[in-house]
Amino acid sequence: MLLDLLQNTIDGIAAGASYALLAVGFTLIFGVLRRVNLSYGPAIMFGCYAATWLHLNFQSGLMVLGLAAVAGAVLAGAYVERLCFAPHRAGSAIAAMVASFALWMQFEELATLVLPRHVYPFPTLHEGPPLEFFGLTLRIDAIAVLGAAALICALLHGLLHRTRFGLAVRATIENPVAASLAGIDPARVFVLVFALASAIGGIAGFLIVATHGQVTPMLGMWSTLKGLLAMMLGGLGSLPGAIVGGLALGLIEAHSQWFLGPQLRDLVAYLLLFALLAANPAWMTRWTTSRSAS
Amino acid sequence: MAALLEVRELVTAYGKIEALRGVSLEVQEGSITCLLGPNGAGKTTLMFTTAGILRPRRGSVRFGGRDITGRAPHAIVGAGIALVPENRLVFPNLSVLENLHAGAYQRRGRSEIESDIERLMLRFPRLRDRAAQNAGTLSGGEQQMLAVARALMSRPKLLLMDEPSLGLAPLVVEEIFRIIAELHRDGTTILLVEQNAHMALQVAQHFYLIEQGQITFSGNPGALAEDEVIRRAYLGSAAH
Repeated sequence: MLLDLLQNTIDGIAAGASYALLAVGFTLIFGVLRRVNLSYGPAIMFGCYAATWLHLNFQSGLMVLGLAAVAGAVLAGAYVERLCFAPHRAGSAIAAMVASFALWMQFEELATLVLPRHVYPFPTLHEGPPLEFFGLTLRIDAIAVLGAAALICALLHGLLHRTRFGLAVRATIENPVAASLAGIDPARVFVLVFALASAIGGIAGFLIVATHGQVTPMLGMWSTLKGLLAMMLGGLGSLPGAIVGGLALGLIEAHSQWFLGPQLRDLVAYLLLFALLAANPAWMTRWTTSRSAS
Repeated sequence: MAALLEVRELVTAYGKIEALRGVSLEVQEGSITCLLGPNGAGKTTLMFTTAGILRPRRGSVRFGGRDITGRAPHAIVGAGIALVPENRLVFPNLSVLENLHAGAYQRRGRSEIESDIERLMLRFPRLRDRAAQNAGTLSGGEQQMLAVARALMSRPKLLLMDEPSLGLAPLVVEEIFRIIAELHRDGTTILLVEQNAHMALQVAQHFYLIEQGQITFSGNPGALAEDEVIRRAYLGSAAH
């Protein structure tokens, strides 16, 4: 029993690391734009499909596939930014969100046109047997995902807190008008943050498909839902919150799958989010209110 | 001598409502020019249009002889104008030091920026004490000092100040005006929007009255009896 709990916790953290990355990308975009980008997951899927295509046609190595996933996600992200968010910068948040939904459909159609089968294999990060200790198993690729997620979060923290660009991003998150009065160009920050978030999403997507060993067109919706859920669990708009939210989502899923079965697994996470939104604790809306007050 | 800032026939509208209805004014280099007027007369609209936050429908803004009408705010900062906005708009979750660095965003040269911060900390000792604190934890007066210091970090040729005394205790207001006088003595050109007409007329060399989006009077502080200025600045001439 205790062993099961420990094993679930390990599995949950491993899955949660990739959710955390998805949520960090989502949060960056939400933080600067105050807009929800529904096409975030589909752009990641686009990158992963580009990598899959390279894998199927050229048997490219993992490094190349990873780069292709990132490049594809950034390209698709730039397309989304230009079409959905740049024209609606001062306008309606709903218009931008609906537009991003339309592009979601485009990406799914495009993916299934190029690679029409429902499932394609994707090379895994590590082929060997998992580590075993004290009756617990730990997949090597899970360690790699966790390490990569930790590294990316550390690098992102350094970028945001130690560089001139990071200062511009944080100032824009707080107040784009005040940032522009300080000499920062918020429009440029928006574009660069969108690219950065898409790149992080591309890495997350690559790690996820390489762990699962397969790619399906559901990846787009899956990434958007997991990222959105983790971001909201962590309190909308806070980067440390996104990491906590991602890990929490992984843990909730792993434990509820064990205790309640796979059918109820997703339901538990949604119910928890519903309960949190209904209770509306201060930390959940801290960010959204701090900006309107300033 | 040509004016540092020349605003000509400026019209800025929110939808169908014209907040500025053909405003013209000049700010001479090295002067403090003050803009007085009742609430809703268009003072903040004029500041926002000059700083590039709002785009005018008609008219022009010239700065140092160059047309800057309708340029983006960050480009206007680059040209040498810094706005200390109404309600200060400091970055509450950034430290005092980070707020100052943000103000120097367009500048290069780390050591010069550091020495400017050092000088500003001498001028505003309260900011030195709170350098590592988040700006949101500062008092209203301290936030105002920070907003001024952040604007100065861009080394502006022209400082726009929108109601710097708003909501501050009388002693703090006096301190703010002492700083304005000091900045003037050091050669900074200032366009000051104020509700506190009495204090403003003591530091200004020239003032304009704005009422309902139009300049209704312009002159030196002695040109109009102070009680008349104050009445019109608070109530508008409609209240005769």
